Amino acid sequence: MTLYKQTALMLSLFLLIILSTVLVLNFQSANKGVQDRLYEDAKNTATSLSLSMGNANGNVSIMSTMINANFDSGNYRNITLVDVDKNTLYERKSESEIKTVPKWFIELINLKAPTAYANVSAGWNQVGVLHVQSDTTYAYKQLYTILIDLLISFAVITLIGLTTLNLLLHTVLIPLKEVQKQAAAITRNEFIIQRKIPYTKELADVVLGMNNMVAKVKAMFDKGNEELKAQKELEYIDQDTQLKNRKYLIDRLPAYLKVDASHEGGVNILIAISGMIEANDKIGHQNVDKLFMDIADIFKTHTKNIKDSIVARINGTEFSLLLPNCSSSDALRLAKSIQNSCKSAIGATGLDLNETIISIGIYEYNHKNSIAELFAHSDNALSIAKFNYEHENIHLEKAESAVEVMGKEAWKLIINKAIEKNRFSFVSWSVIDTKAKKLAHNVLSIHLDLDKHTSYTYAQFMAPAIQSGLCSNVYKKVVTMLFKNSSMLLGASIYSLRLPHEYLEDKDTYHNLSELLRANASMLPFKLIIELPDKLVRQDSKNIREYIELFRNFSIEVGIFEFIGEGGDYQYLQDLRPIYIKGEGSYFLTQSDQSLSALRLITDTVGISLIAVSVMDIETLGKLKSRDIHTVQGYVTEII
Amino acid sequence: MLKFKILILLSLFFTNIIWADEPYVSESLLNEIGEKYKIFAKKRFFALQQTLDSVKGKSDLEKLEAVNNFFNEVRFASDMKVYGKKDYWASPWEFLGNDMGDCEDYVISKYFALIYLGINYEKLFFTYARSTKFDEPHMVLTYFETPKSEPLILDNLNRKIFPASQREDLTPIYNFNGDMLKEIDKENEKAHKKWDELKLNMQRKKI
Repeated sequence: MTLYKQTALMLSLFLLIILSTVLVLNFQSANKGVQDRLYEDAKNTATSLSLSMGNANGNVSIMSTMINANFDSGNYRNITLVDVDKNTLYERKSESEIKTVPKWFIELINLKAPTAYANVSAGWNQVGVLHVQSDTTYAYKQLYTILIDLLISFAVITLIGLTTLNLLLHTVLIPLKEVQKQAAAITRNEFIIQRKIPYTKELADVVLGMNNMVAKVKAMFDKGNEELKAQKELEYIDQDTQLKNRKYLIDRLPAYLKVDASHEGGVNILIAISGMIEANDKIGHQNVDKLFMDIADIFKTHTKNIKDSIVARINGTEFSLLLPNCSSSDALRLAKSIQNSCKSAIGATGLDLNETIISIGIYEYNHKNSIAELFAHSDNALSIAKFNYEHENIHLEKAESAVEVMGKEAWKLIINKAIEKNRFSFVSWSVIDTKAKKLAHNVLSIHLDLDKHTSYTYAQFMAPAIQSGLCSNVYKKVVTMLFKNSSMLLGASIYSLRLPHEYLEDKDTYHNLSELLRANASMLPFKLIIELPDKLVRQDSKNIREYIELFRNFSIEVGIFEFIGEGGDYQYLQDLRPIYIKGEGSYFLTQSDQSLSALRLITDTVGISLIAVSVMDIETLGKLKSRDIHTVQGYVTEII
Repeated sequence: MLKFKILILLSLFFTNIIWADEPYVSESLLNEIGEKYKIFAKKRFFALQQTLDSVKGKSDLEKLEAVNNFFNEVRFASDMKVYGKKDYWASPWEFLGNDMGDCEDYVISKYFALIYLGINYEKLFFTYARSTKFDEPHMVLTYFETPKSEPLILDNLNRKIFPASQREDLTPIYNFNGDMLKEIDKENEKAHKKWDELKLNMQRKKI
């Protein structure tokens, strides 16, 4: 129960007790007043009547008439004249029932009208004693009216009192609500500094303490962010040309060479500039450095329109241009254009074009190539190009085309049929926290079931699906299946599902997901984590924020996959607060100590855990553990 | 039979001793009266006690005579003069302490002294009367031998006790006995406003 409710309840109870006490006391006082009045009336009547009866000289009939006159004109229950021998001389009694007030009220109050007495004399002689008792009917009526008035006043005062109390409490507890908000934000790893310090001393101390703590944690995060930025610049940027370096290319290549890569393939252009030692002697280091800057600009200019392209300096004289979705013919045209531009730049420096030679090896890669294959074939193409004077030192090598079981059209047919007939099923594999020795969660993957005996894995059908532009449709089907037939996944309590950017960037996805979540999220029998690609999340766009807010509204956590810490700023991690970050095992192993510790500082500050994926063997797991990465995904989870 | 008579005599003797031990005004109250009204007042109370003691065991008439004569020695003075109030019923201690008072004060002091002497309260009445001689309201103490007998009038204007029929200078208006009214309904704390005030003052030993 909140403090507000407890205090409100206590004070309301207190108020009600006070008001009830006042009500009872008021009524008792009124009751006593009415009874006193009854007696006073009776007493006055007794005295005045007995004085009048003194003139009757003891004549009973005159005295009886006087009693009758009084009894009939006033409200009396009883008037009796008793003589000196205690015999009743005359008596009048009212037997009428009290009908003006409810019976329960009469039983509750039980009003007793006191009797007043007065001596009656005749001259010097005594006649007796006069007994006068007032009628309680009027008193009951008066008391009942008082009770009703009191109850109405009580109800109005209670209503006003409780409303005022509520308003007062609300006002007094506003600072506490702010404190509570800040505390809740801290629990969610959000850094909120409360500028308005409450006037209540205890609350002010708490706010100042929390502000101080939040400021320190924020400073730690900022420090980690700065350090990671600096490290990334050193690790991924070539300082002479400001192009990306070989390490960056290697860290990014897994995203290009995977079964569900966005692009089926492309070309990797390796460009070597020979004769640079001589060039240094001829025109000096500074001019050579400037030449490299110019050449870097030429590369950037020529590739800027190619989506997802990477331009990297591999070593002192070699550059790599990874151009996804670029055909060999386009690559050849581009290579020639680059070569010509470079020659012009070299010529402008006064160097001899026969000594400073631009060789270009082009390898037309396939997304199923390994990194080693890509580099080997690219190197081979460059080696051939260097001696390929006939073709101006440009050589194109094509990847051995894989023997496809089915053609593109056949795949398209199968996938479309599967979407139409609902032929997808879920499989899952484990993510293990090796430190806690427990299952962190299960990662969901999809199978395409052709018939009872044949099914295709994600790796098999997703590449043709992407190439056919059906990725988004497949996921639309699969996500619907996940929410509507969630009961088929009862093996674990936490599942994660990757959503590719092709699906997320589809204009209908947000609306469809909202509808699905609204209708089904509350019935999910497990906790769901949606994994979003770092490439998309780090853009910190309105679109991605809307997705994350949507998921959180339905208690669905968000994770990040394919993280390589490429962004220039990691503020998005603090703002979006994913539950975990998944990166390739090789990525974590090749990071410098400084870079990794800066990343840890950021993630620890906002409570994000790091998960290494594609961990295949115990040896790699050991290395990851030594780098304080304990949660892993991949084949290794099957053998530990 | 002789033994029975001796027993009665002894019991009467002891009753007398116990009675004799209970003065009209207690020792402590007497001291307080002495402090407030000085030595002469105290002497008046001693004289009162002597008077009362002298008629103990005697007839009602002798008791009436003694009490009436004793208090009629006190000087008459209006309430305004003594107490600064228009109408005030003084306790017997205030009346004798001040050694002055008005007609009600005589009646009150005589009433309680006679009660002390063992006269039944039902025989005594405060009687509001009109003095035809002075044409003024007045109060006297009336004594009824029986409820229906002719009352005797104990008055401070006419110092001798006369039967009512011989007091043509007085017109009776109203008889009142607070103790009697109280006795009818013991639960009721109220009987008569002035009487109730007087009883309260006496309980508080107002002097």
